[in-house]
Amino acid sequence: MADLIRDLSRRQFLKGAAAAGAAVGIGGIAAACSSPAAPASAAAPASAAPAGSAAAVSAAPSAGPTGTFNWMTWVDHYYPEQLSIIQSSLGIGVNLTELADNADGFTKLKEGSSQLDMISGDALWVPHYFETGLIEAFDINSLDVAKQLYSIAREFKIWTSPAGYLGYPIGWSPVQIYYDPAKVSPTPDSWEVLLDPKYVKRVVVENQPVEVMAYMGKFAGVKDPYNMSPDEVAKAKDLATKLKPNLLKFAQQNTDTVAALISGEAWIATGNLGTESRVKQAGGPDLKVFTPKEGTIGWMDSEMTVKGGKNTQLIRPFLEAAEQAEYIAANFLINQRPLFNEKAYKLLINQGQQDLADRYLYNKPETVLTMTLKGPGTSTQGAINAFNEVFGA
Amino acid sequence: MAERIDPIELMPVSRHARRTRGLLAILTGAMIAFLYIPIVFLVLFSFETSNTPGLPITGLTLKWYETMLKDRQIQQAVLNSVIVAAIVAVVASVIGTMAAFPLVRARLRFADSIRLLFTLPIMIPGALLGIGLLLTFRRVLNVELSLATVIAGHLVFTVPFVLLIVSARLQGFDRRLEWAAADLGASPGQTLRHIVLPLISPAILAGALLSVTLSIDEFVITFFTIGPQPTLPLYIYTSIKLGVSPEVNAVATVILVATLSVFGAGSVLLRSGRRLRRREAR
Amino acid sequence: MTTETASGAGSAPLAVGSSPVRRPIGRLAPLVPGLLVIVLLFLVPMGFMLVFSFMRTDVNFNLVPDWNIDNYARFFTVATYVRTFLKTLLMAAAVTTAGLATAMPFAYFLVRYVSPRLQRAILLAVIVPFWTSYLLRVYAWQAILGEHGALNQVLQAIGLIKEPSALFIYNDLGVGITLWYLYFPFAALALYAALDKFDFSQFNAAQDLGARPDQAFRLILLPQIRAGIITACIFVFIPILGEFLTPALVGGASGSLIANLVVNFFRGAQYAEGSALAFVIAFIVTVVLIVFRRYLRVEDVVARG
Repeated sequence: MADLIRDLSRRQFLKGAAAAGAAVGIGGIAAACSSPAAPASAAAPASAAPAGSAAAVSAAPSAGPTGTFNWMTWVDHYYPEQLSIIQSSLGIGVNLTELADNADGFTKLKEGSSQLDMISGDALWVPHYFETGLIEAFDINSLDVAKQLYSIAREFKIWTSPAGYLGYPIGWSPVQIYYDPAKVSPTPDSWEVLLDPKYVKRVVVENQPVEVMAYMGKFAGVKDPYNMSPDEVAKAKDLATKLKPNLLKFAQQNTDTVAALISGEAWIATGNLGTESRVKQAGGPDLKVFTPKEGTIGWMDSEMTVKGGKNTQLIRPFLEAAEQAEYIAANFLINQRPLFNEKAYKLLINQGQQDLADRYLYNKPETVLTMTLKGPGTSTQGAINAFNEVFGA
Repeated sequence: MAERIDPIELMPVSRHARRTRGLLAILTGAMIAFLYIPIVFLVLFSFETSNTPGLPITGLTLKWYETMLKDRQIQQAVLNSVIVAAIVAVVASVIGTMAAFPLVRARLRFADSIRLLFTLPIMIPGALLGIGLLLTFRRVLNVELSLATVIAGHLVFTVPFVLLIVSARLQGFDRRLEWAAADLGASPGQTLRHIVLPLISPAILAGALLSVTLSIDEFVITFFTIGPQPTLPLYIYTSIKLGVSPEVNAVATVILVATLSVFGAGSVLLRSGRRLRRREAR
Repeated sequence: MTTETASGAGSAPLAVGSSPVRRPIGRLAPLVPGLLVIVLLFLVPMGFMLVFSFMRTDVNFNLVPDWNIDNYARFFTVATYVRTFLKTLLMAAAVTTAGLATAMPFAYFLVRYVSPRLQRAILLAVIVPFWTSYLLRVYAWQAILGEHGALNQVLQAIGLIKEPSALFIYNDLGVGITLWYLYFPFAALALYAALDKFDFSQFNAAQDLGARPDQAFRLILLPQIRAGIITACIFVFIPILGEFLTPALVGGASGSLIANLVVNFFRGAQYAEGSALAFVIAFIVTVVLIVFRRYLRVEDVVARG
């Protein structure tokens, strides 16, 4: 379990890493602790059981700034043990506020930026925050831990500005289609399977109007479904009308989708990476997954520094610690979607988790460039209105 | 208030009444059982081994309770939710009850309109209220967001409920009781304290219970009015990308058991306290 | 007691014979905190949203003071909004009827035949489950009502149905049942508070005078708790107009109620458009409440004695 990490790292920390200064070599720690025979849970890749190599002590000297800062983020950007280790070893605490939608977080930040220091955001929302003057750019290459990232993650055009990089990259996922091969044939490869009349009331999609219209837009061949012309919106609307009888329900959360797939009420669903193993782990059927041939949408998120935050000086030392490969590897095993830390991939291989990591495209961060990224667009209003027309009474 | 009911109150009035009473008892029991069916499943899911709450149950475990005990974030969230709900219940009950009196008795010319005004917050979707409150707090009142602003925001939709339920009770309140008290020498304040309030206390209690119910699971308005603090509904409803784990079921079960125990213990203590006092009075 | 001025202003009983024609402002003081809450924390926020509703959201999600009434016109020109609104009214009416019909026997039994201490215990027992997370309870209902859920398994086991039925959830029926479940305590508490003041010895008097039980119920009890019944109706009907979570969770693809359509705009940061829709609905409902205000009066019309 994740507590294995905590116990090991505390031991390591007390042993000798308390000295101020240099980052402790990962190799040294890996050698010092024998790769533990984690309990049977390590065999089940879906469980939250990182076969814990010790979490490295952060590179920041212990004489660095201490205190607490405020972070609005999604729950999969951290895990509790990680934060308590950083708190006890570095004296940096975090006040967490949960984030649901980008739009809500954006609105809240606009009105009260002095109470937030760090905020997470998806893809094209990041430059939107920057253009509105809510976040600060920084030099990503000045962060030691950033060297552990895939180089592509440090060079995304949308996150680059003359003033610097806009956010510290965390993770990503495309939206894919899951299906039960026992019930769905022939093998699907397109968005069309969502609309196939064979599957009445067997499909689940997320309760996100703009995204659902984007799926339909993708199927209609629109290249950028977040900036559709009125004609394209009309096409997507027609497709959504065909989708309606097939929908069992709109999923409020991933739990909804997973539950419907487990019980067999739904045979087809859209979702982020990791859904099929959640279904399997809970006793559901073996599902297959594919990326539609017409292309898909997806997200990638990052941590942004709030402009005018009161405790932003804590963010750099925090990131230096929290984004270390060991934590990221553990995060992957808990949440099972790919992250941008390349070193963590190597750790996962060492832990015998390469199959799992490859299945979730961990070593293919360039996939991000093939998907349409989520974010504000010109056709948001039109898409919502079209959605209301289709799915209203 | 006397603990005993005058037997004549309980005496069936008509020959059908005994049957009716039996039927009603069964109905009430069935109602309560029905209300608890999802609770049974909720508690059951907190023990299951799979990472997603739901059927089928693949195995039983206590690990979610262990996780909950180590999860500082969720514990803080629960604490904040309870504090907010408790304060909201008390303040809303006071404000709502106070407002009910002039509305019912002062023969205001615009009583209807004022009452309608108080009813409006109930019909507005929470998202509107939340954003409006955020703007008001930040741009008009220039206050930082915190649990205090959350409490203020919750008052907006709880005070109307208390007001409506207490004013309905006050209407047709037998004023002769108050006049009798005055005849016996009681001041208005004493009459209020010893006659009126005790008699309308079931309505006030009902309003308070409704306020807790409304506040404790609220997440939309809370999201927009809270500072860097967590509450339990925020934690649960924002787990959109990856869903919730049975840890929240464990938390909910603990809250349920704790609340029932607290109320159970409280009523036992009250009962023994009264018995002691009665004994002393002799 | 001999003059109708005896029911005077404020909460204090007046000495017989004094005339309270003048209403001292002090009598209205208890209303002030409530008014403060409404004015500062409701009217001002709504003022913001009202102003926004006449603006436009541009492609960068900024509110632009491009004054227009298009957002309001949308409600009337795009057919789905009116249709969904009417559907919501129907659903709210149905749930209110069902809620009152089930809450009344419950509250009646509680007040009439149960001792006060046990009353409070039962009330608490009924409402405490509603202090757990609504989302978790709905997930439990999904597990019960779903196609392979507990209910279907039971029905199949006792042979009532041969195949699992998808009838119970992810449609309007599911929304109705879940809403009724959610709002039952509201109706029950409102009726309980109203029934509490009823003097049941009147039934004895009625029986003496030859009335049948149902006559007594209809002609004596109901009129006296009319305010409570109206309150219960308000507690269930009005909030349902703003309900979006339940339809989203158990309504399936066609279960959206009007608040869902409003919230869809809000989640896309289209605040101008969403606010306008919400205000149209609020306006319509307010007009209805004003038109029927005579039936909703709670003032002390009858001065006893």
